[in-house]
Amino acid sequence: MKNSMVFRLGFLVLTYLFLVNAELNTVWAQGVKKNKLRISADYVKIMDGDNYVNIKASARIEKKNVRVANIELSISNIVGEEVMELGRTTTDMDGVTKYVIHSLETIRPDSTGVFTILISFEGNDLYKKTSKDISFKDALIHANIVTKDSVNYMNARLLDADTGTPIQNESLIVQVERLFKPFIIGEDFNYTDENGSIHVPIEDNIPGVDGNLTFEVVLNDNDDYGTVKTIVEAPIGVPVVYESTFDKRTMWSPRSKTPLFLLIFPNLITFGMWGFIVYFIFNLFKIARS
Amino acid sequence: MKTTDKLLEDLAPRKFNKLGVLWTTLLILISVAGIIAYIDQVYRGQIVTNMNDYALWGIYISNFVFFVATSFVGTITVSVLRLTNNNWRTPIVRIAEIISLAAIIMAGVTIMIDMGRPDRLMNLFIHARLQSPITWDVIIIPTYIVISFLLLYFPLLPDFALLKTHFKDKNPRLSKWYGKLSLNWTGSDAQKSIQLKSIHIIAIFIIPAGFILQTIDAWLFSTLFRVGWDSTNMGAYFISGASVAGVSALVTVIYVIRRAYKLEEYITDFHFDKLGKFLVLTCIIYLYFNINEYLIPEFTSKKEEITHLNHLFTGQYAHLFWFVIIGGLVIPIFALMFKKGRKPLPMFFIGLLVVLGSWWKRFLIVTPTLLNPFLPMQGVPESWHHYFPSLHEWLITGATLAMALLIITLLVRFLPVIPIQRTADEEDLLKTNKTEES
Repeated sequence: MKNSMVFRLGFLVLTYLFLVNAELNTVWAQGVKKNKLRISADYVKIMDGDNYVNIKASARIEKKNVRVANIELSISNIVGEEVMELGRTTTDMDGVTKYVIHSLETIRPDSTGVFTILISFEGNDLYKKTSKDISFKDALIHANIVTKDSVNYMNARLLDADTGTPIQNESLIVQVERLFKPFIIGEDFNYTDENGSIHVPIEDNIPGVDGNLTFEVVLNDNDDYGTVKTIVEAPIGVPVVYESTFDKRTMWSPRSKTPLFLLIFPNLITFGMWGFIVYFIFNLFKIARS
Repeated sequence: MKTTDKLLEDLAPRKFNKLGVLWTTLLILISVAGIIAYIDQVYRGQIVTNMNDYALWGIYISNFVFFVATSFVGTITVSVLRLTNNNWRTPIVRIAEIISLAAIIMAGVTIMIDMGRPDRLMNLFIHARLQSPITWDVIIIPTYIVISFLLLYFPLLPDFALLKTHFKDKNPRLSKWYGKLSLNWTGSDAQKSIQLKSIHIIAIFIIPAGFILQTIDAWLFSTLFRVGWDSTNMGAYFISGASVAGVSALVTVIYVIRRAYKLEEYITDFHFDKLGKFLVLTCIIYLYFNINEYLIPEFTSKKEEITHLNHLFTGQYAHLFWFVIIGGLVIPIFALMFKKGRKPLPMFFIGLLVVLGSWWKRFLIVTPTLLNPFLPMQGVPESWHHYFPSLHEWLITGATLAMALLIITLLVRFLPVIPIQRTADEEDLLKTNKTEES
């Protein structure tokens, strides 16, 4: 009888603990504070190439700004009240993603020629729902290189694509593509004139592979047009002479290309030494025979 | 004056006494323990060692460098003393030749142990590049083994002939072996002429060979751009260090053999006095190179060099470093400056101290440099900055040292440790001179 009572009491205590713990778990899960996700985006247009939106997702966690990976974002085109989803993209391990708009003809501007892109996040267990929109107008940069009095100039013209009118007083950057960082040529700020044009002299002696240089004319992070870039290739650089030692006999070559002095002297020493050794062994034979 | 019979009685190989048997057994046991550890290392891989991505050379390589250094004794004593007409060398040269041969054989074996799988030795030949000092090492070590063997063997020919006769009745089987090894030596003028000419050429020939061996050993390090190794001083530094290691090993072994075989009549205080002076000279030269090696980097104070030197002077290797410099060089120099310090027993302890210092010196050349890489990586485990050999490494290294001593012991057992014929010739010469004088 006493054992039966102990068993029942034990069973009740265990059931109570199980239920209380289950309830606590639920309360704990609900009590997790969600972080606010920050989305930043900028529009980039490459002339005769892709247009894309660079997106970064970050959050402030424990007083530090951290990039947030694996965030699925919805990309939409907004025209007035109408929202048309274009597609979805997910941030990589650095919290960055690039959504490519292959042609601006696939999206619609409003009546003033302004395109609006909405980037929205639906929220998840850790981050709150959020969104960000960017607006931009379409611009064109036409660039070419001309030579005047043996000096090369970069001529570029900035136009509003919708109206075809020149864009004045905007600064364009002229630079040459390099391995780590572009090399800026001309002034820091090359403002467009009333024709939307700039003329930047190109200095001599810029090295390039086979003399080919890749120039970029960039309207950088403009409030109205975003970033617009055009690329011009021209064989006006100084050819880089790559001094390959591949076919030469060097200390770092394979053994088939050993430097001659290393073939001659160590072999002379080695064969010389072993020549003496053979002579000594021969002398041992002579001693044994005499 | 001693007759040839008396010389044979004193100097012919003898059976070991109980202590000798015990010593040989101990060496065999240590060798067997090391062989078992090595088999386990081959089976399980070098994971059994404490080497890592930083300390990729451990005591196997420092032990290899020690053996190479010790083998220099053949060059520094036999040849140099012969070519400088130091006639007092006679009772000590054979022991030097034996040590030299044993050390260089074990150097070759040790380098194979460091390779992990022994079949990798083939790769050194299959993929050999003359641009690599390792290839030069592969060439010079077998060459030096053969030269050391010839340097030992040629002077032994007359002694083998004497021993053949000496053991004819006592031990016919041994006598037969000595007969074969004597290559029908009769002592004819033709034989003597060929033998003396050969010995003379080998004595000259082993000097460049020894210098090349030590220099290549140094270049294995100095061609690697590493802090502590990247030095033009390295070749000469290694040669002087090898002289110290070789002569100190010779002093120690000579004392033991002299005592065990009761050779006080042949290896006298005079020989220890001479060897003591020789050792102090080599120690002073080596100390000079050490000062060069450490003072200039300290003076120029490049960041990497200072990090390395701090490890040695005040860091984790300070106790070993100061033991090597003070115990292995400074104290021996001061002790050997005094005549009392050059007596046999003090010389034995000083020799032992210098040998010990020489072994740890090679450890200090190899390891601290590896623990301070030229391009530090991030996120490296803390353990990579430290290295202390594992039990396997100690057992295997102990076995290589025991095997070297075993080779010496066996050669001492079966060869006359003091050249009998040459001693007899010198006695005759002395007798003739005295007769002429009277």
